Amino acid sequence: MSRLTSAVDVRERFDTQDYLADEGTSTAVFLALQIGLPLLLEGEPGVGKTTAAKVLARVLDVPLIRLQCYEGLSAGEALYDWNYQRQLLAIRLAEATHERLSEAELFTEEFLIERPILACVRHRGPRPPVLLIDEIDRADDEFEALLLEFLGEASVTVPELGTFNAERKPVVVLTSNRSRDLHDALRRRCLYHWLEFPDAARAVAILRRTVPQANLALVESATRFVGHVRTLDVDKPPGIAEAINWVAALSVLGVTELGRSDVLDTLGVLAKTPDDRDAVLAAADAYGFG
Amino acid sequence: MEAPGPLLRSVDRAAFAVGLGERLRRAGVPVTFTALGAFTEALGLSPPTDVTALYWAARVTLVDDVAHLPAFDAVFGAVFRDAARAAAGQASGPRQDHVDDVLASLSSASAETSTGLPWHTLPHVVGTDDRSPADDVTRGLPELLPSALESLADTPFDELDAEQLAQIGAWLERAWLRWPTRPSRRRRVHPSGRVVALRETIAASRRTGWEALELSRTRGVLRPRPLTLLVDVSQSMQPYAGAYLHLMRALARTGRAETFAFSTSLTRLTPALRHRSATVAMQRATEQVVDRYGGTHLASSLAGLLASRHGNALRGGVLVVASDGWDSDDPAILVRTLARIRLRVHRVVWLNPRAAAPGFEPLVGSMAAALPFCDAFLPAHTARAMREAWEVLLDPSSRA
Repeated sequence: MSRLTSAVDVRERFDTQDYLADEGTSTAVFLALQIGLPLLLEGEPGVGKTTAAKVLARVLDVPLIRLQCYEGLSAGEALYDWNYQRQLLAIRLAEATHERLSEAELFTEEFLIERPILACVRHRGPRPPVLLIDEIDRADDEFEALLLEFLGEASVTVPELGTFNAERKPVVVLTSNRSRDLHDALRRRCLYHWLEFPDAARAVAILRRTVPQANLALVESATRFVGHVRTLDVDKPPGIAEAINWVAALSVLGVTELGRSDVLDTLGVLAKTPDDRDAVLAAADAYGFG
Repeated sequence: MEAPGPLLRSVDRAAFAVGLGERLRRAGVPVTFTALGAFTEALGLSPPTDVTALYWAARVTLVDDVAHLPAFDAVFGAVFRDAARAAAGQASGPRQDHVDDVLASLSSASAETSTGLPWHTLPHVVGTDDRSPADDVTRGLPELLPSALESLADTPFDELDAEQLAQIGAWLERAWLRWPTRPSRRRRVHPSGRVVALRETIAASRRTGWEALELSRTRGVLRPRPLTLLVDVSQSMQPYAGAYLHLMRALARTGRAETFAFSTSLTRLTPALRHRSATVAMQRATEQVVDRYGGTHLASSLAGLLASRHGNALRGGVLVVASDGWDSDDPAILVRTLARIRLRVHRVVWLNPRAAAPGFEPLVGSMAAALPFCDAFLPAHTARAMREAWEVLLDPSSRA
């Protein structure tokens, strides 16, 4: 489990981890590893962006460091922070023992708290870790600027200590749901891949792999129905994640042949808003099961 | 894959990459130098054996936004056309029919550009002949002076000519000194803050022998709310469309607002209107809105906005709808859609230029249905009224 030699190799190794990557995804992953650029994955929710990063870490057999983005995320939570309480204690201690405390003693690695990105840069091991920066579009645009040094040079500068450089360039995967446009400076530093919904044949293959207990006829009819719902005018088109959950729910209920009543029973897995509920129900009524 | 691929044997990879990049740039795909470097490296790392492999290597390295994919596919298809046909059977490769579609749409778009109609082609609905000459005398030279604007400020938009509208547009562009805000989760050091900032306090205590004499404090930061502007460009709103187009451009240029025009369908105009030159921006907007001065599908346009990816940008923001409320959709759909929008946005402001008419009552079905969901209902038919509407947006307590 070490180096990946080609895009085909990526696909085969992902396959062993039950992630069926298409040619675009495997090429993107392979190039990101070889060129050493971060990989920016965009796509509709539920097409497998986050899963791709997780599987990549498993395939490379390295730790996955995950940074979930949210509004207000700052350097203190993403890069590093100082342990101020310990610093204050050290000051009081020095005072009690009448020592002179120099600045170099107070801002040492002993007082540094690693956050995901610094942890990634300072990771010591035979192979660099995979860093997943999830849903970067949820962080505000000030945060993107914080990432630029790390994404470009794989280094983090702590003003009081100096610059930490990664021994080996970490593998970085960023995901975005496009709820806002990312800055060009960030895009420029990344490889970019837009993930599409898989076609019917691959969707069936993915479902058979992830929900092995479901029978083939159920998987096929469920895939067809999900594909049909995706073409409708719905607020949230069901992704692969929803399809997997749905087939799992159906098979838990012991469904072997999909019918209208089964759709009704498991509607909450597929439709997440009242409008979508109506749309999916109407689709189920009009859809010829059997 | 050790042997060089048969596709690009003895090809200067750098020259090849630059050549393709140049073509892409000409087609409007912004290809950076970093991207060209990555593409050249990718060609060396795994020499593509077929067009599909080349397609993916080029797409992953050279394209950085899904919006540029159609243009990229078109260029790639045109350059590698014969080879692309051979790969057409593959699900994930460039499909020739798709490429043809894109090319066809490009050529039809450019054909429309050359013979395209300007924004105003139909005659104005509102007759102003009896008043215009007298106004011209009193207005004097159309110079961009405060006094010139002052005289325009109370003139309804439907009585202004294109040049006067442009003046108002120029004024609007500088009018956004203040913006609706909301508290952010970020904090900043400030003398009047309440929470002790340990980092700054300890940093400051260096100068006093590590004795913290003064506590630094942080307070919350305000951030601008996202603003979404929907402008009705249907037949009934035609006299006001020009003025509102200037408003849309002024807002789009701030970078904090999304602008949409709708008549029978919804068209996003933000990228088109962001152009530096007002003339070019207006022309680009005119090309994009194919259904202007048509019928109105207000409810389905709003529902379309909600379902699109810009529906998420509404969260915590301000939605401004400029429409007279004449809608051919069922008011029930409008009620349902607005109820959902209301759950997402902070405020809904409705601008109806017809509301300024004496004795106006919102009797139109959709307008009456929409009113309960609106935080403010304002005329905004003149520059001054628009200014006042903005004040209401900034400060809810001054609600009209």
